[in-house]
Amino acid sequence: MKFPISIQTQVLIIGGGVTGTALARDLALRGIDCVLVEKEDINAGASGRNHGLLHSGARYVAGDRAAAMECRSEGEILKRVAAQTIQDTGGYFVAVQGDDERYIADFASHCSRSGITARAVDIGAARALEPALSERAIAVFEVADASIDPFRLSLESMAQARSLGARLMRRTGVVGFEREGRLIRAVRVRPPGGGDELRIEAAQVVNAAGAWAREVAQLAGTPIAMTYSKGTLLVTHTRLASRVVNRLRLPGNADIMMPGGTVSIVGTTSTRVDALDDVHPTAAEADLIVEEAARMLPALATMRYIRAYAGVRPLVGAPDAADGRAVSRGFALFDHEDQGLDNLATITGGKLTTCRLMAERVADLVCRRLGVSRPCITATTPLPVAPECGWTEPGRSPREWMRSHGPHDALLCECEMVPRSAVDTIYNALRAAGDTPTLTDLGLRSRVGKGACQGTFCAPRTVAHLYQRGDFQARRGLAEIVDFFGERWRGQRPVLWGEQLAQAELMEALHCGLFGEELRDEELQHAGMPDAPRAAPEPDPADGKPS
Amino acid sequence: MTDEPPDRFDVAVIGAGMAGMAAALFAAERGLSCIQVGNGGGILFASGLLDLLGVQPTAERRLWRSPYEALAALALDEPGHPLARVEVPSIRAAFETMVTCLGAAGLRYAPLGDSNRSVLTAIGTIKTTYGVPLSMVAGVEALNVRPPCLLVDFRGLREFSARQIAATLGDRWPGLRHRRIEFPGCEALPELYAAHLARALEIGETRARTIERLKPLLEDAHAVGLPAVLGLARVGEVHAAFEAGLGVPVFEIPTMPTSVPGLRLLAALESAVSARGVIRRHQATVRALAFDRDEGAATLDLEGVPGGERVVARAVVLATGRFTGRGLTADRGQVRESLLGLPVRQPVSRESWHQSDFLASSGHAINRAGLETDGAWRPLDASGKPVWPRLFAVGSILAHQDWMRSKCGSGLAIATAWAALDQVARQLGGNGAG
Amino acid sequence: MSPAFFQSTLYASLALCALGLLWRVSAWFRVHIGPDARDVTFSRRVAAVFGGAASALFSLRVLRVLGTFVLDALFLRRLFANAKLRWLGHLLIVAGFTLLLLMHALAAVVSAKLLPGYQPTLYPYLLLRNLFGAMVLAGVALLLFGRWRQRRGLPQVRRPMDAAFVTLLATVLVAGFLLEGHKIASPRAFYRMAEQFSGTSDPAELKPLRAFWAREFGVAFGDLGESIDSNAVEEGRARHADACASCHSKPASAFISYPLSRALAQVTGILDSGRADIWLLYLHVLACFLGLGLLPFTRFFHAVAAPVSLLANAAARNRTQSVTVRASRRALALDACVRCGICDQQCSVAPLARYLGNPGLLPSHKLIATGELASGRILQSGHENDALRAADGAFLCTDCGRCTNYCPAGLDLEDLWIAARGDFAAEGLPAPAQWVQARPALAWAESMEVALAQHGFSDPDALFAPLSADRRSFSRCVQCQTCTNVCPVVAQGMDTEHGVDLTPQKVMNLLRLGLRDLTLGSRMVWDCATCYQCQEHCPEGVRVADIMYELRALAVHRLGSVRGLREPS
Repeated sequence: MKFPISIQTQVLIIGGGVTGTALARDLALRGIDCVLVEKEDINAGASGRNHGLLHSGARYVAGDRAAAMECRSEGEILKRVAAQTIQDTGGYFVAVQGDDERYIADFASHCSRSGITARAVDIGAARALEPALSERAIAVFEVADASIDPFRLSLESMAQARSLGARLMRRTGVVGFEREGRLIRAVRVRPPGGGDELRIEAAQVVNAAGAWAREVAQLAGTPIAMTYSKGTLLVTHTRLASRVVNRLRLPGNADIMMPGGTVSIVGTTSTRVDALDDVHPTAAEADLIVEEAARMLPALATMRYIRAYAGVRPLVGAPDAADGRAVSRGFALFDHEDQGLDNLATITGGKLTTCRLMAERVADLVCRRLGVSRPCITATTPLPVAPECGWTEPGRSPREWMRSHGPHDALLCECEMVPRSAVDTIYNALRAAGDTPTLTDLGLRSRVGKGACQGTFCAPRTVAHLYQRGDFQARRGLAEIVDFFGERWRGQRPVLWGEQLAQAELMEALHCGLFGEELRDEELQHAGMPDAPRAAPEPDPADGKPS
Repeated sequence: MTDEPPDRFDVAVIGAGMAGMAAALFAAERGLSCIQVGNGGGILFASGLLDLLGVQPTAERRLWRSPYEALAALALDEPGHPLARVEVPSIRAAFETMVTCLGAAGLRYAPLGDSNRSVLTAIGTIKTTYGVPLSMVAGVEALNVRPPCLLVDFRGLREFSARQIAATLGDRWPGLRHRRIEFPGCEALPELYAAHLARALEIGETRARTIERLKPLLEDAHAVGLPAVLGLARVGEVHAAFEAGLGVPVFEIPTMPTSVPGLRLLAALESAVSARGVIRRHQATVRALAFDRDEGAATLDLEGVPGGERVVARAVVLATGRFTGRGLTADRGQVRESLLGLPVRQPVSRESWHQSDFLASSGHAINRAGLETDGAWRPLDASGKPVWPRLFAVGSILAHQDWMRSKCGSGLAIATAWAALDQVARQLGGNGAG
Repeated sequence: MSPAFFQSTLYASLALCALGLLWRVSAWFRVHIGPDARDVTFSRRVAAVFGGAASALFSLRVLRVLGTFVLDALFLRRLFANAKLRWLGHLLIVAGFTLLLLMHALAAVVSAKLLPGYQPTLYPYLLLRNLFGAMVLAGVALLLFGRWRQRRGLPQVRRPMDAAFVTLLATVLVAGFLLEGHKIASPRAFYRMAEQFSGTSDPAELKPLRAFWAREFGVAFGDLGESIDSNAVEEGRARHADACASCHSKPASAFISYPLSRALAQVTGILDSGRADIWLLYLHVLACFLGLGLLPFTRFFHAVAAPVSLLANAAARNRTQSVTVRASRRALALDACVRCGICDQQCSVAPLARYLGNPGLLPSHKLIATGELASGRILQSGHENDALRAADGAFLCTDCGRCTNYCPAGLDLEDLWIAARGDFAAEGLPAPAQWVQARPALAWAESMEVALAQHGFSDPDALFAPLSADRRSFSRCVQCQTCTNVCPVVAQGMDTEHGVDLTPQKVMNLLRLGLRDLTLGSRMVWDCATCYQCQEHCPEGVRVADIMYELRALAVHRLGSVRGLREPS
């Protein structure tokens, strides 16, 4: 029998979401060697399936003051140190006829008690600035909400961490823990393509697997009480407003409309789920969002939607309410020492806005355990810009491309105007890190496939380009297109009515009617071409992005 | 609205996609006076290949060498399928007529025969189809024999990579080589568009320069494959010039929409129907359609023509297509027929419109939604009776078919148009034989 | 009125008219419109035109010329085709005046010679004179009605001289009818005639005749008792027969002036004592002469110029003419425009003229601006804004040619606009395309962001950009690239060093992405030929060309208002 290869590091981070990547950066900045294993890709979970809202905190002032105040201070910090990932759009809280008068009346004082400024705005003035607001609005408050690009945040955090020696292992799932007394000696992981298992020997292990933290903790033999809340969001075809628009009431369904750069993102819903596999948005959820959000912004009832996506919020503690909104949105840090483990920590719950703080807390614990005394500097150290990480920002590539582009720098994606050069930059960066990028990886790191056509035209163009570069061989491109559409389709399906249904019909007419992708193997045999081994199956793709 | 008395026609065809064009063409062929309303946008998405029936049953992904055997199977499995309701002789006649008219309009097809053909697609898959334009037919032969061949693409034509096709088929077609060249005169441009290349190749000088660039790449190639850009109106001339210049068979591979073969098809069909005296209102849409039950004439109010227009027709053929053609529209609740609000057979709820897997074998339920018709292709109202004795529906708007999965788009359009026009002619006392 | 006075005033007005004609016609050869016309000398232009005319006269084309003269010049065929009401009005006026001129004004040389025993006071001449006058009145009424009916949207152009001329015409008619009406009722006129033809003016002696005339001719004798006995009338009838009948028919057939005379009957005494007959006559005649003299200086000169233009078209060997001829035709066009406004109604940018609130986009205004540019008026200080608006008007034209096709005077307006653009550019008022394209699209977008932050723009999008600001106008786009594939401008890009910076498809996508400002300065928008291929082919019915055009208009408005950036390049 052959012994599995072992990797040594000081800290093993499990989970490449906003918390895991922020933690990798925090530790790296403190000079601690770490390895991050992610079973799919950066922000593949809830980190990439949210509004992309940098909360002012005002949403939680009534129900969850602690979370509210955390949001406020963390929001201010991120606006300072990660400015490139944030658009300071400002936000409105809007109540419409029929909303709870009491809540409206108390809102301002609730805010001030949490140290959050909420300025009452004259409704006429507000509607002049945001014409999409309902005529039935009865109260408007202005708060310091902003929009943040979680992908750029995580990608640039990871990029800096790697530049300081941290290692990232994508598509590497944890399969088991090797325990010895009160310590984990090694964590067994399965590398991409299902090769032989690896052992990762780390002094400290951090479980930052977000919604999957329960499963990881289970594997480590230290169960934690967690429940899941599924949230679905919709992406509009065009941007409806330039500010964040929140519903002024106790948190409920479809309360928030985000200006996601060139589109608007509306959501969310909140439903208890017990399993994490195959979480995808449904038509019923889409309907609920459209109807509810249209009460704030009537145009949402007639808007063209291009996709939906669903994420799972990890909620810590036992829930009572069925929708789990009652459970705190604050985060939880477990040291597992009372469960008999001294080198495992689990950080979960929380929100995008507080990811830096969560990383700081767990990093402090890890450092204490490692006997490292260096303080956290992520609250003051600016996040460096990485050239390959900026392409998830909506509306950036058109400007860049129009500013100047090489003589042969064609657009591969017309909807979002992503040029070849952007794809090359991203692809080369991944390759440089010894990775084998997929079409889906490119989609996650750019706007390719995120526009109106949802990949109908840009996927074949991008694949053709990758063949031309010599990066794709044999039938891989076909498999990649099929995977890519598989992932895009789950997002499109719930919003297929009106114009987007026509778009989807064209997509099927082209990819099934003409290209016959569903018959890609049958056609070979039919044409008398002996079947040859297919391209290696691609790992599961990441799901939808917040725009 | 002008005050002059409205023009009167035997048939008004609403829609100018494949089905609408076929209906107008067959109406004219039968000597009926015809007006056609609507723009031919849908045809621009066509590949120039005329499918008849390639897959049946779609759930089993079973491909057929003979479309007519496939039709027989279809008749057994799905007697309600529109294609299954057209007699085979009619289908043959319809295709022959269509291909003959297209040929006369400068878009020549290979003789149809009894069997389907396999052609290469732009992403390296293989497509089963029936009618193949002459400019593509050499590819069928090449794919059958798979001799050493050369695929060439043009730098800047973003959606067509010869290297991709060659790589995708590489292990099955070792002799398939690929090369990329610059299109003459476009060396400085980042992006090229098929239609512009096609127009440029109708200029002898550009054509000659292109052929010169191809010659040295030939080596042992028995045939040369190119993206479908070999001319628009003068495809025959351009294609012949390439074969003469290179001394080997040359074949086109259809590109993504909007494709040159689509533009050719549209142009050919437009000239074919116009040459037969069909009045075309390609910029107009029907604002209102009213039936006179006693006198038996329909009145169409058109908009999109200066001052609007009103015409009267003894029979109306509805060929408005599906969602991209806007014959059907859907809101979150249900699918509607856009023009008359005819009842649409459809799945119960949106949740069941589409499978969760895009490529699911069974196909998406909504693709089988559409209009129910009686034996004479007349759409039915809620009570199951024909809406109007001489209102007919043809093409993809019909229920009980999934042309995208069955590979029967053109077949559906052409065959149902033919069958419906038989009924029209019979009812108007015209010459049913065409 | 003394014949000498009549003669002298007549010749004076004729002279003035002749001078005016000479001056206006010479302008056709003097005025330069279009850079290419600048170096075509006066003599060459005269030669070219008269040479052309001569060659036409001695060829079969003369028949076409004749046909045109009858159908187009006399019977205004083109007007008939486009505006029936206005056609009727014009025809009535022209016919009415011509007939009055021949039968009435030129009675001495025409009627007297052609019609034996012609007397203006005889039937049917009484009737006809009233009829012709009525035709003119009816015509004027129709035209006024027509103007009032299409009085919407942008203001019409007016000049004091034209108003003066119209007033004169009115004066001629009103004075004429009043004079006639007064004379019918006037006892003074009666006595003067009696004196002249029956040798006596003694009322007693004339009693029977007065009785007869009072009853049958409606003379309003103040002193003729209440009752008139029938014997006297019968006696008067006899006297009338041998003294007056040869020159006088009953005036009742004068269906306008006779009723007028009934109305005046009450005040005849006053009018008589005030010698109304004399000053009404002076008013009538002098108004005629003055009108005659002024005609060439008013826009009604088109009555001469428009037919000339139509005849010139007929005489021309082919549609396209040498620059020497076109140089004169352009100047002629300035005079030949009949201000009918049909071009404005047909103009494909009329809606935009409204959005932009700039009537300078409309053909009728462009024509005047072109004239003012040629005369240099518009370039004088104080007119900078007019000049800019006029320049935008000249350049914001789709060259659709509708104005030319519909012009009842058969003017080649397309040629005129192209020439005018050259002149505007030469005067440092270049095409928006020039100053816009002097900077790349992104530079415009960025400078606009700054400007927007500083002072914003006063353009409610719904008004200035009804399409590009409305998501519904492009939300149907399915990214199929048809617009780009059929675009001749993008195809042109294939041969140049660098193609257009955007494609129609990309413009639509930038709108979708909310990045409209990136399109305003783009070469695609500014090189768009508005050939409508994209729009006609779009499978989803997106109004691509309309949007392109709208963006261009919006750019002129917005970029033009970014301070300090709109320097003529």
